[in-house]
Amino acid sequence: MQERLRILKASAEAAISAAENAETLTEIRHQYLGKKGELTLILKELGSLDPEERKQIGKAANEVKQAITDILALREETLVGEGSCIQGAIDLTLPGLPPVSGGLHPVTQMCYDLNDAFLSLGFEVFSEDEITSEKYGFDNLNFPPDHPARDTMDTYWLAGCEEKAGAERLCLRPHLTGASVRYLKKHGAPARFVYPGRVYRNENTDARHERAFFQYEALIVEKDFAFASGQLLMRTILEKVFGRAVDIRMRAGFFPFVEPGFEIDMKCLVCGGKGCKVCKHVGWIEVMPGGTPHPNVLRAAGLDPDVWSGFYINIGLDRLVMMRYGVDDVRLFHSGDLRFLSQFR
Amino acid sequence: MKVSLNWLRQYVELPGSLTIDQLCHDLTMRTVEVEGAESPAKALEGIAAGVITGIQPHPQADMLRVCQVDVGMPEPAVIVCGGSNVRIGMTVAVALPGARVRWHGEGEPVVIKPTKLRGVKSGGMICAASEMELDGLFPEGGEHEILDLSDFPAKPGDPVALVLGLDDIVLEIDNKSLTNRPDLWGHYGIARELSAIYACPLKPLPAFVRPNGLPEYPVSILSTQRCRRYAGLVYEGLDNALSPYWLRLALWTAGVRPISSLVDITNYTMLAVGQPTHGFDRNSVRREIIVRNARSGEQLTLLDGQTLKLTPEDLVICDTEEPVALAGIMGGQRDSILEDTGEMLLEIANFEPIGIRRSAGRFQIRTESAIRNEKGLDPQRVDLAMTVADGLIRKLYPEAKLTAFTDRYPVRAEELKIHVKPDWLSTRLGRELGLQQISGLLTPLGFDIMRESDGLSVTVPSWRATGDIKYQDDILEEVARMIGYDQFDFIPPAVLLTGAVSQPRVLLERRIREYLSFQCGMQEVFTYPWVSRKYIAAAGIQPENCLQLATPPSPDTACLRPSLVPGLLATAALNMKYFDDFSIYEMTQVFAQGSTHPSEAGESLPLQRKFLAAGFVGADPRTLFRTAKGVLECLPRAVMAEPLSFEQRDKPDWADQKAWLNILLSGEVIGSLGIVARKTARAADMKRGQMALFEINADMILPLPSRSNKFESLPLYPLVEQDFSVTLDESVSWERITALIQGYVKSIGFIEEYRGKQIPEGKKSIMFRVRFGSEAGTMTAAQIDEKMRSIIKKLGSLGGEVRR
Repeated sequence: MQERLRILKASAEAAISAAENAETLTEIRHQYLGKKGELTLILKELGSLDPEERKQIGKAANEVKQAITDILALREETLVGEGSCIQGAIDLTLPGLPPVSGGLHPVTQMCYDLNDAFLSLGFEVFSEDEITSEKYGFDNLNFPPDHPARDTMDTYWLAGCEEKAGAERLCLRPHLTGASVRYLKKHGAPARFVYPGRVYRNENTDARHERAFFQYEALIVEKDFAFASGQLLMRTILEKVFGRAVDIRMRAGFFPFVEPGFEIDMKCLVCGGKGCKVCKHVGWIEVMPGGTPHPNVLRAAGLDPDVWSGFYINIGLDRLVMMRYGVDDVRLFHSGDLRFLSQFR
Repeated sequence: MKVSLNWLRQYVELPGSLTIDQLCHDLTMRTVEVEGAESPAKALEGIAAGVITGIQPHPQADMLRVCQVDVGMPEPAVIVCGGSNVRIGMTVAVALPGARVRWHGEGEPVVIKPTKLRGVKSGGMICAASEMELDGLFPEGGEHEILDLSDFPAKPGDPVALVLGLDDIVLEIDNKSLTNRPDLWGHYGIARELSAIYACPLKPLPAFVRPNGLPEYPVSILSTQRCRRYAGLVYEGLDNALSPYWLRLALWTAGVRPISSLVDITNYTMLAVGQPTHGFDRNSVRREIIVRNARSGEQLTLLDGQTLKLTPEDLVICDTEEPVALAGIMGGQRDSILEDTGEMLLEIANFEPIGIRRSAGRFQIRTESAIRNEKGLDPQRVDLAMTVADGLIRKLYPEAKLTAFTDRYPVRAEELKIHVKPDWLSTRLGRELGLQQISGLLTPLGFDIMRESDGLSVTVPSWRATGDIKYQDDILEEVARMIGYDQFDFIPPAVLLTGAVSQPRVLLERRIREYLSFQCGMQEVFTYPWVSRKYIAAAGIQPENCLQLATPPSPDTACLRPSLVPGLLATAALNMKYFDDFSIYEMTQVFAQGSTHPSEAGESLPLQRKFLAAGFVGADPRTLFRTAKGVLECLPRAVMAEPLSFEQRDKPDWADQKAWLNILLSGEVIGSLGIVARKTARAADMKRGQMALFEINADMILPLPSRSNKFESLPLYPLVEQDFSVTLDESVSWERITALIQGYVKSIGFIEEYRGKQIPEGKKSIMFRVRFGSEAGTMTAAQIDEKMRSIIKKLGSLGGEVRR
């Protein structure tokens, strides 16, 4: 009996040390310690032995059982420490599995970036309908009655209002500025708000020109707002958008709804103002028009221009996105082509 | 517009230290955008004057000759030349190796290299005017003639650019930045700005001396609304020939082609002071000038040969019999200056701009004259133009006589005065300004400033009183731009803290987009609001119900979308060419007949609602349908909005017969979901794959301040999970199964549906998983068995046969 136990222990030890994985160890455990295991069988035979021998063999068998259990645990620990979850080889250079991929339109992304910047400065977000009237698209904004933009050659008028004028003549909005009067009429002054959206011009399209494009306009109306403060506002916004300090300059520009009006240039981020292909060797890139609301616009909004002043900026969203990513054809934005859109995920 | 620096210098003496870059910068910052500055001399680098000292025939070619040319170097250059007019002693332009020329005046410039022409070495090229792109400047000269410079004072070796006086700078000014400044459409106007910027004097133009005792030329203005002033000057003793070189050079540099002396005089006047003029052949004009609206059916053949059918909208200049010119735009062919004109009737007139623009637009004629007249010129400018034109005629034709003169100016423009408060000016500028400073900035621009008891009275010069300057804000702009916008410090605005911005609807819209893009893996797209009839029809929309554009991008796209479905179908069809599985969405406004008043009662706008539409493209319609439905089911919680429900009420035209649902909010239909019907897919040219689609009125989705669900305590004891597979009639819906079992279990989840060989016809097998547990303790095997039996019994009531 003692001899059987000795052999059993030796063979178990050999099997355990040869085992290379947890499954084998479990098999070994079954083989020796399981319900029908070899050691269990020996223990069952104890009943047939005389009491003295039973005591001796019993003790010895339990010692063997303990020893096997111990080396099993030891071996298992070793195997866990040394082992890998991966069976066989793994190619670590295989590409990762991408997360479920969708995306916002790049113009929306830019718009939201700007929203975040303006919201942090306490601006509200406003929007008006895309179809507006001549009154809100032009009259309120100090466009003279004969301004060329009012022609059918420039603006998409709706069929059926050819003979009408003012509030009754409808068009797809040619710019966002009309929304500013709507907001001010509703909420009064002081006010600071942005109103991004799509605008429409009747023109021939090419890589730089579109009939439908996106603008982002902001207006701040305060008492006696000096235009030099507007300058600071623009710089702050551009810094937030581009994530670094941006030099800007304002120069003379003409737009009916502002007085004074500016063209706002940004020092070229590619060459730092030295002149390169991106800025056409000028060192500056025209980013937006802006200016102080024209007194007639404030009057249209029910505000006294002697009291109230402010600052408009109008950002061409498509242009900004094109600059950000180097997109060379503005028509791609409305193409719906996923080969283009999926690049901005 | 092209502006010549040499021409500007006739009117203003610029600081000697001023660089071109600085000038461009200052003009751009303060006045108009300068897009470029280039010297016309640059193109002629390496081209030198040469004198021909010897000519031999070419041994191999009859048309060519071998010339020795003194180009100011120790040895004469030997050059093969094909010019028919080449002769000994002639001064010519020699392109030496390295210079760039255009072969025979065509194509891109090429660099001259020493070469062999038919076996004879040639060290350069004797140029024709066209080969140096100077044919505009030298309009005479035959096809095979080289440019003869013998009349120019030139030594061999002198750069030809200097010989020809091309050492100028041409500023290219962006016309768009000039639209509101009619006063800047001539050199004198730009010179005035420069004189103000650099505080250097502007040379006054001499006043036109009105002739005394001359007969009047008969001029009648019948439309004083549209013609505000008309001066007619008759000159006799003229000879219409080639203009002197200096005049041709001035025009050519400013981008206008010299034609003949009388035409050139009119163009020079326009480029100098911005006032278009027109010369008539006096003897072709019958008796008188009448300015009137055209009559319907009248015709006029213009200088360029095209014949117009006129309408009463067009203003015409007529003689006794018929129209002779389209007023302010272009002259007629019969009566304008002819080759042999010896007596000229010179028109210098002022027209109302809108009519000019409309006529020019209608006939699509963009002349230099129309461009200026449609900006709205000041009538006083006619005086300046008379000065310049009269001066030129006397210079070119000392013998000529002014024999008749008329100046009709029925309604004189009133002087415009603006009251300005200096305090207001200082506040809005953000800096203090005294009267001296204001005056110093404005006077050089022609403003006249008087102190009044409570401010300043600023008299606006006539050339700025054309609508450009009206209010004190316009004066502020003048002051600010003359100081220089770059000279102002950045002043932080005074900030009022007025509560946090809270805009749930704005947030909701962003959450919806971010949910669809980032949680559902969809791509946002934008399509045009005008949609092609093909997709309108595919979506089952009646075009006559759509709002229409008066002048659409194309005849096919007049309809403004009442739904996002047509655009989505088009976008899906396009992308099916490249992808098998994708999902897209668009959220924007759609348009329908109706009446809304967002800002005032007087303004009625059509119905404009923000819709959200999504398309799911793939192979299996059942999966696509469930994917679309899943996106909608999870949307309310993800975006914090009121929950949605589904029901079949009203099938959208584009949806499949079987697979569709309406989307409801609080019992009201706000959208639809479905598989795109086969006929729709075919009409939309969707060649591969299937598409599920939903469209919903996003304005109806109500934002909630937070998610709507309540916290549930975690179970104290483990839940039991059991799967069921039950065979049921096709007519038994999942909804009925859940309704039946819901009360008995913690949760019930669909796993899969099966139809096929093992299942009888008309039946389906549904597999689902339930979880249940007890609040009192871990469930025993007996308790679990009992629960299972009760569930199986319930399923039996639906006719279900359970396989566990």
